[in-house]
Amino acid sequence: MDVLILASESCDPATEIICAPENVIELFEFTEPLFSIGPFDFTRTVVLTFLAMFIVLALLFMGFRKTRVVPTKFGVAMESVVSFVRDDVAKGTIGPDGSKYSPYLLSIFMFILVANLFELTPGINFPLTSRMAIPLMLAVVTWLIFVIVGFAKNGLHYVLDIAWPKSVPLALRWLVGLIELVSVFVLRPITLAVRLFANLVAGHLMLTLLLGSGWIFFAAVGDIGVRSVIGLPWFAFGLLIFVFEFVVAVLQAYIFTLLSAVYIQTSVHPEH
Amino acid sequence: MIQFLAPILVLAEEAVVEESSGIDLLLPESSELIAGIIAFSIIFFFVWKWVIPAADKTLAARQEAITGQLTQAETTKQEAASLLDDYKKQLAQAKSEANTIVENAREAGDALRTDMVGKAEADAESIRVKARSDAAAERDRAATQIKDEVAALSLELAQKVVAGTVDESAQQALVDRYIDDVGNLEA
Amino acid sequence: MEEIKGAIALIGYGLAAIGPGIGIGIVVGNAIQAMARQPEAAGMARTTMFLGIAFTEALALIGFVLFFIA
Repeated sequence: MDVLILASESCDPATEIICAPENVIELFEFTEPLFSIGPFDFTRTVVLTFLAMFIVLALLFMGFRKTRVVPTKFGVAMESVVSFVRDDVAKGTIGPDGSKYSPYLLSIFMFILVANLFELTPGINFPLTSRMAIPLMLAVVTWLIFVIVGFAKNGLHYVLDIAWPKSVPLALRWLVGLIELVSVFVLRPITLAVRLFANLVAGHLMLTLLLGSGWIFFAAVGDIGVRSVIGLPWFAFGLLIFVFEFVVAVLQAYIFTLLSAVYIQTSVHPEH
Repeated sequence: MIQFLAPILVLAEEAVVEESSGIDLLLPESSELIAGIIAFSIIFFFVWKWVIPAADKTLAARQEAITGQLTQAETTKQEAASLLDDYKKQLAQAKSEANTIVENAREAGDALRTDMVGKAEADAESIRVKARSDAAAERDRAATQIKDEVAALSLELAQKVVAGTVDESAQQALVDRYIDDVGNLEA
Repeated sequence: MEEIKGAIALIGYGLAAIGPGIGIGIVVGNAIQAMARQPEAAGMARTTMFLGIAFTEALALIGFVLFFIA
């Protein structure tokens, strides 16, 4: 899909060295609806969102369909994901009462992981998390959870302790408090969303640029002859980035989950 | 923000056009936002209501199964140990029985051998005694025969040699002395 | 200044990425040192490392956002 967009640009493999897309935005926006139900338009991104949902549901359903005493290999994989999120991330970060938050953390981990891996799935090649909607939505949910938990556990002291930190000298207290207020309530959700978004946008751009360029040069071998060798380093570098992006996709899902847990932990035990 | 920054940076005209699409990338599309919220809510409720309990159930079942297997293994081990004891006891019993049997057999053999040796010795003794008596009888008979024959021969000889000069009694005495000499020689 | 053309925001983002780049390097380096010294506290060090990276990276991410807005 992206390769087609690139090829449709006026890139001349006979004169240029790399085929950069003229308008980057077109790589990420699919505005024309594939079909509509009532007033709601199903664009490609929307369809992929529901596809990701079904994949997550199917993976979890297959993994825990039966209570097997001797698990299958797939069951072991799913169980290790669940125990990793619940024991390492939730309990390890938040504390003994962290398993309360494990449904949420497991949901975001699985959803982001599948949405990220769409970047590398042949035929889809588009990370859902490179659209601001998904990361922002999840970041806002995390923000709501840690703010609500903070008020529920500590009452008004939650905000007062942040805005008026007792451990800081009086002269600087108002400044640190202000920075902390902005940092906790504004920057946390924004950076949480933008981190995921930016990583996937960058990865998707790199892959499209390198693999797309390689593909265009290879495809034009009839017109430009030996010059299509230029596509070889782009393609090789693209494959390298492909492997690297797999690590990034998993790591970003982990970091989003871990930071959500850490933010919730700071609301549960604000003294730390 | 855009209006605030644009005069400062003095961007070219085309760049201003791309600005508006640049911020578009950062703003969420409402249809995607709605889709995301719906999809994530479904995932969350599925995980909350089904996956976590299922995972708990699986882990509990596995724990129970492992505990049960461990208990079973313990009882099996104990059974095996008692069985081994039984076997050891039986083996020891069998060994002592075998020893007794071998001992008995040896004693019986010994007795048999002593018996047989004794019998053989007695047989040999009786055979020897019989042989000796036979030999003695034979010797006596031979001696008597020789005595008679020698007597007759010597008488005949003497008669031939001394023809009539020797009377009957003197001749008999002579023969007897000779026989005695022969007997002494023989003894 | 009237002659400046093209994506000047790229320069701004490049400048914004210098500090966080150095900062993340320091954070990760020290975290690795902590993990090597006390492997039993590696889990805590890793979580704290990610938290530190998150705070440091925030500046680069703000720069990234401004690149799109500007």
